Amino acid sequence: MTRIIVITSGKGGVGKTTCAANLGMALAQLDQRVVVVDADFGLRNLDLLLGLENRIVYTALDVLAEECRLDQALVRDKRQPHLALLPAAQSRSKDAITPEQMTQLVDSLRDGFDYVLIDSPAGIEMGFKNAIAAAKESIIVTTPEISAVRDADRVIGLLEANDIKDIRLIVNRLKPAMVQADQMMSVQDVQDILAIPLLGVVPDDERVIVSTNRGEPLVLEKKLSLAGIAFANVARRLQGQSIPFLDLNAPHDDLFSRFRRLWRN
Amino acid sequence: MTSDAPSPISTTELPAAPGIAADQVRLKGDGGRLLLLLPPDTNGNRHPLGWHDLWQQLKQRLSAGERFWQPQSVVHLVAQDRLLDARQLQAIADLLGEAQLQLQRVYTSRRQTAVAAVTAGYSVEQQSPVAHLVQTAVEPGQALDEPLYLQMTLRSGVEIRHRGTVILLGDANPGSSIVADGDILVWGRLRGLAHAGANGNREGRIMALHMQPTQLRIADVVARPPETPPARYQPEVAYVGADGIRIAIATDFAKTSLSATPEAADL
Repeated sequence: MTRIIVITSGKGGVGKTTCAANLGMALAQLDQRVVVVDADFGLRNLDLLLGLENRIVYTALDVLAEECRLDQALVRDKRQPHLALLPAAQSRSKDAITPEQMTQLVDSLRDGFDYVLIDSPAGIEMGFKNAIAAAKESIIVTTPEISAVRDADRVIGLLEANDIKDIRLIVNRLKPAMVQADQMMSVQDVQDILAIPLLGVVPDDERVIVSTNRGEPLVLEKKLSLAGIAFANVARRLQGQSIPFLDLNAPHDDLFSRFRRLWRN
Repeated sequence: MTSDAPSPISTTELPAAPGIAADQVRLKGDGGRLLLLLPPDTNGNRHPLGWHDLWQQLKQRLSAGERFWQPQSVVHLVAQDRLLDARQLQAIADLLGEAQLQLQRVYTSRRQTAVAAVTAGYSVEQQSPVAHLVQTAVEPGQALDEPLYLQMTLRSGVEIRHRGTVILLGDANPGSSIVADGDILVWGRLRGLAHAGANGNREGRIMALHMQPTQLRIADVVARPPETPPARYQPEVAYVGADGIRIAIATDFAKTSLSATPEAADL
């Protein structure tokens, strides 16, 4: 049974594509056959994060125009043979595809793969409608900021209205030190509003920027960073394993900060 | 906020109470059967409800109120002067089917809708459009609709409008709004906008377990939440007092306000 999961958000720049790339890689490391579909037509960058840009020959639009076969457009990852990418076209606008075509495309991917991860554009416009058309499950990515959470809430409402009831949450770019200092929304605050099950919490990490620029997902590192571990855990939770959430507070909880908290309370 | 002296919060007058849009899908119990009332198509409304919105509304109603009916209840569709083709009738029947309801009879004043319904095998009752015109003439003195019971999370961007009291079991998130001609009861967190007594009735009340709205409106009075949020939330009731919207702690509200004569002198 192929699982079709759309990764989406309300606000842009919260890390959807990073999540899609890392989750795809992490699931492939768990011996799942994964294809990540870039549904952000007109603005593709999933291929950059996976380091596959120079290997793209055909895109999803070429498949739909029957200018190539589906397996010609799929880019296999060299490091991880279980992972493939279906790239979007950069030269065309986001209206170049309809929800029906998207459904057709994803349906044709069902056979060869265990997971179809769809990287959706942000917002509520046509590109978003295309991306969710074929999905059965959804992962909402948000940062702990009021605007991102508000927009995520709106998008959850839209997903529910489109009969996607299995919606889970990734809180990205959390800064535990700021949360402890009461300067940032905590995961609990985010969950209070969104009221959907939590799939993972990813701490803010400068290495994410390094890894995106290099095109090497975090989960490929030999010695995983905290963010890398978080992504690997999310993948295992998707597989149905019950993995406890990381204790992100641990490194910050020294004697000094404890005293400071005590003082404030 | 102390219990004995309900604190006024900053209030301003609304320029005009916005009228409730008459166009919404309603479900109404009626002696063992369920009436599905569609809004009229041509009622002098500036924005008649399109099929897509109608469809979304019906879906929302069905997913939010399943306690109202027994499974396999019979539904009578009151389509009034709305034009429905066979495909749309089938879509409605399918939606009802998913909620374990059976569409059986269609009331309509349009011949084409009647033909489509007969072809699809439903009983049809054709009403003359004249009867409908007479009905709208007596509308001004209308009583409130029966309460709308919702069990869901109202998310950002969702607006509930109802000509009666709205009861929400769940949270109303920031960015959502509830507009009711009657009272609004939120068994959960109220963080969006709530407008009670929207038809101009200042007796409307807004109650919530956790009153943290972006704005409260009762009839033509508007209130913002205080700049400094309270340290702890408890069930509260908002009502119109002598100098605008006041908020009282729910457990004291009965003592302080219900027993006293209502402050309706300023109406």
